[in-house]
Amino acid sequence: MTRKGRRLTIIGTAGLVLAGALGLALNALRDTIVFFRSPSEVASKAVPPGTRFRLGGLVDTGSVKRGTDQLVEFKVGDGATSVPVRYKGLLPDLFREGQGVVTEGMMSPAGVFVADTVLARHDETYMPREVADALKAQGVWQGDAQQQSARR
Amino acid sequence: MLLWVVMALMTGAAVMAVLWPLSRRVSGAEIDSRGDVEFYRDQLAEIERELDRGLLSGDQADAARAEAGRRLLRAHADAQPALASTGEPALRRRRAAAAFSLSIIPLIALAVYGALGSPQTPFRAEKAGAMADVARDLGSALARIESHLAAQPEDGRGWDVIAPVYLGAGRYDDAVKAYAAARRIQGDTVDRLNGHGEALVSAAGGVVSAEAAGIFARALALDPGSAKARFYGALAAEQDGNAAKAREEYGRMLAGADPQAPWVPVVRARLEKLEGKEPARPPIQAESPEIIAMVEGLDSRLAREGGSGSEWARLVRSFAVLGRQEEAQDRLAKAKTALAGDAQAVAGLDKLAQDLGLDGQEKLR
Amino acid sequence: MIVEAGHYALTLALGLSLLQCAIPFWGARSNDPVLMGSAVPAAIGVAALVGFAFVALLIAYVTSDFTVLNVVENSHSAKPMIYKITGVWGNHEGSMLLWVLILALFGAMVAASRHLPVRLKTNALCVQAAITIAFLVFILFSSNPFTRVEPPPAEGQDLNPVLQDIGLAIHPPLLYFGYVGFSMTFALAMAALIDGRVDAVWARAARPWTLLAWSFLTLGISMGSYWAYYELGWGGFWFWDPVENASLMPWLAGTALLHSVVVMEKREALKVWTILLAILTFSLSLLGTFLVRSGVLTSVHAFAVDPARGVFILAILSIFIGGSLAVFAWRAPLLRGGGIFAPISREGALILNNLLLASACATVFLGTLYPLVLEAFTGEKISVGTPYYNLTFLPILLPLMLVLPLGQALAWKRGDLFAVVQRLGALLGVSIALALGLIAFTAGGPVLAPLAIGLGAFLLLSGAGEIWTRSHVRGRPVSVAFRRAVGLPRSAWGSALAHAGLGITVIGIAAQAWSSETITAARPGTQMSVGRHTARLDSVRPRTGPNYTEDVVTLSLWRDGRPMGTLETTKRLYPARNSPTTEAGILTRGFDQIYVSVGEIGTDGSVGLRLYDKPLVLLIWIGSLFMAAGGGLSLTDRRLRVGVPVRARGGVAAQAAPAGGAA
Repeated sequence: MTRKGRRLTIIGTAGLVLAGALGLALNALRDTIVFFRSPSEVASKAVPPGTRFRLGGLVDTGSVKRGTDQLVEFKVGDGATSVPVRYKGLLPDLFREGQGVVTEGMMSPAGVFVADTVLARHDETYMPREVADALKAQGVWQGDAQQQSARR
Repeated sequence: MLLWVVMALMTGAAVMAVLWPLSRRVSGAEIDSRGDVEFYRDQLAEIERELDRGLLSGDQADAARAEAGRRLLRAHADAQPALASTGEPALRRRRAAAAFSLSIIPLIALAVYGALGSPQTPFRAEKAGAMADVARDLGSALARIESHLAAQPEDGRGWDVIAPVYLGAGRYDDAVKAYAAARRIQGDTVDRLNGHGEALVSAAGGVVSAEAAGIFARALALDPGSAKARFYGALAAEQDGNAAKAREEYGRMLAGADPQAPWVPVVRARLEKLEGKEPARPPIQAESPEIIAMVEGLDSRLAREGGSGSEWARLVRSFAVLGRQEEAQDRLAKAKTALAGDAQAVAGLDKLAQDLGLDGQEKLR
Repeated sequence: MIVEAGHYALTLALGLSLLQCAIPFWGARSNDPVLMGSAVPAAIGVAALVGFAFVALLIAYVTSDFTVLNVVENSHSAKPMIYKITGVWGNHEGSMLLWVLILALFGAMVAASRHLPVRLKTNALCVQAAITIAFLVFILFSSNPFTRVEPPPAEGQDLNPVLQDIGLAIHPPLLYFGYVGFSMTFALAMAALIDGRVDAVWARAARPWTLLAWSFLTLGISMGSYWAYYELGWGGFWFWDPVENASLMPWLAGTALLHSVVVMEKREALKVWTILLAILTFSLSLLGTFLVRSGVLTSVHAFAVDPARGVFILAILSIFIGGSLAVFAWRAPLLRGGGIFAPISREGALILNNLLLASACATVFLGTLYPLVLEAFTGEKISVGTPYYNLTFLPILLPLMLVLPLGQALAWKRGDLFAVVQRLGALLGVSIALALGLIAFTAGGPVLAPLAIGLGAFLLLSGAGEIWTRSHVRGRPVSVAFRRAVGLPRSAWGSALAHAGLGITVIGIAAQAWSSETITAARPGTQMSVGRHTARLDSVRPRTGPNYTEDVVTLSLWRDGRPMGTLETTKRLYPARNSPTTEAGILTRGFDQIYVSVGEIGTDGSVGLRLYDKPLVLLIWIGSLFMAAGGGLSLTDRRLRVGVPVRARGGVAAQAAPAGGAA
């Protein structure tokens, strides 16, 4: 192969690999991203059933009902509205009424959010950031004390 | 004193680290002895070694030697121009560099340290050593009680002991829980109720919530003479905007008070403020230097790294209580800028400003 | 007093690094060896001063000196001593100080090295000093660990038991050693650009730093992954969490760098690309350091939330990344191009390796930063999770791993692909047979996983095969082969070990396709099955620890009717903080683990349990230990390597390059 030919081979391969990677990434981004919604957004935007998204807010006090076989139902609210959530599985240690939570799943046609993942705070000082923002937008969160401790 | 000696020694050492090599006379050849040329010479030597050990065949060794030789020749050709290590310009350069280092190191170190350091504190640190011992004892006692309570959470006396310690240490949330547990197990007494209420108020950054107000009301029912319960009840009324009731309560407290009681000036100041008078003078006049230092420490920290709404509120309140109105006003403005994104906190600050008589309208009047 | 002296030492170090940056640079411009020589003692002096400051902070922690704000906020006199010590870098300020300490120590090591050309060393120390300055200013003015409080509080604030974990305490320093190690490669790259000279000598200088950084980063990532596995109670080992990605990106770029430096050392090629990679790797390391600390990430790990520092961090990032890329754009065209070579050769395969690794790194970068950018511009919050990486990262890494054994076996300069395929044919056959056998054996089970296991086995076998073909000559006794194997350069052993380690990790990950999960509510006496095992809940008993109460759940396990032992998982409550934690129970048999974590314990006595059967799971981390060990072994190759190509000829065709390094 000539010098020029070799160079072209290398550049060509590089171009091919990069184009392939870019294609993969863009394609995957279109299909796999998951949006975050607050309960108010869910109420106002009417997310179609079957779309995966993350729902975050505070677990409404007194809303947690435990069924049989690890089934849990609770409501996630942001002060303005609440969305009923159903989840089957073990809840994280720091899942508590009145505390922040992020759940991932999709709406059922009946208007219940069926979650397959529940994330609570990582440790006792951590407030999920999206939840904090969403709550601030609703004017619910008096987050200064938490923010202060979260810095430690 | 020792600190200054140590600092001076360190400065000297740092300056010497640069001055010493500048004072050396080094020939260029000596310094450049390790370079590319050396690298390829090493390579040639390595080829010989590998050949001896039978790792390379004669053919391979020849090819390798030829390639290394070619590179060695190129490295020779590329060799740097002779180094300018002698002569008048070099000496002048070195003198300038030496003067530069001699001045820049102490200058920067002292300027930055002067701005950030607290050399006066060390002497307290020695005293703090003794305090730390006490603290350690306290800490281990606390840990002991905590572990005891972990084992026997139904021991009301344990909660009784630990609750005021938490309150004093500023762990308000823990104090609230401890008081609640003590009340649940041991029943209500005026002290427990007052402590619980105080912990709630402190945890809420000075706001007497409905829950706290209820607790104080119960304490007052148990002992109508409890000044603390009455005071917080009045404060709750004041915060609710019920000035008439607050005035009446404060008035009743003062009427029945022993003039020597420590809380009298506080109550009087609040009453005077409610009645529209400027407080005669800040209630706590002879503040201990420790408290002033603490406030100033908080001040500098917030100025430096910002803080939460409740911290700012504490600072503004502290200045107001110390009678340093301009500073309170100034920090209030700063706090609002710092927390501009947080409507909740700003609202809280406005409320505080109103309480303290710091708000803008008042100033205009 | 010691605290103030430490604080002062830090300010002195700032002054001294300014000189370390300015005077030698001036010397290099004016070709004055004396001025250039001042870089060496200055670098050592800075390391001593920063070391003194670190020790001062350490003493403050050990003696619980509560006049220091940082100690107050992050320590407690009742903490166990080991956590007082690890608490020094368990917080933002202290960790930044540790970062600078490692940086300064590495700088001192470069200064003390006698194998570097003097101009390269001088310029590299200047650049290193510039990094030190930026970090010292950042520490002193925005994250000062020596701030005092007056009067001192009686007790510290942090007794958070959840964070007292040895895994959490040692993986950040390992990561930092990795990140900072790449700063030396970066400094050398910038020095080469400043001087306009990049050659094999440069590559030889940069290689140990790259290896060191890479090995530490590998260890750090692996430790962090194991910590998440046993501590978070989800049984997962990698979550594609932004914090994890932040350390994975420099690792990928660093792996590419590791290989391209070899090409440069042996063949004087890929110069511009290698320099660019060195810059990018360190940029990603900086990003990794700061992404975690600035709190911009939406992450289950994000515990540092302080936007005020963000501006400072942004400034450092843009100065170093933007500045170095600008210098690169300006100076890189001046570099003398290297040789061009055949696509089928060791270096050709390494280029492909670099391309694929860089692409993989780019997809992770996109997945990590796209949500941040999107939120900044549209306010829309999204999360990019495992599905994205499965669709992008894996398809890119798979061909890489397929090509790896071929590249490893190809000769430099002009390889014979046919001979190599012939040589590896047997190994490939064994691996494919293994995969097919697995598919047949686990009929109806996952299909891709056996293939992945076959791939892992191929990697593992070809690592061993590489040593064999290099030392074995047909018709000679085994003893000769053994002697030759021992005589192989350590770097050859290192690369074989690291590649085999990758194979082991791949097998471990692939085997997780057969892991099974059971979530159930159980009462004492209940039997449940998880994967190949049967478990019985024996008892739930309360127990008290030093400062907590816990419910201990004990289970017995059987496999095929044979008892395997018991394990305990507990739910702890620290009453002082009212924070519950779960301690997962893990039973290890061979490389398999049974992993049980307890959920809620109901008032009626039922216990929520999550059980996992995880076959071969330990291989994931054992493989990464092999990789790190391989890097370390190459690093101990103190021989001055002969970077000379050897033409494969006649009877020695099967021998590849006797002097080949880690590929």
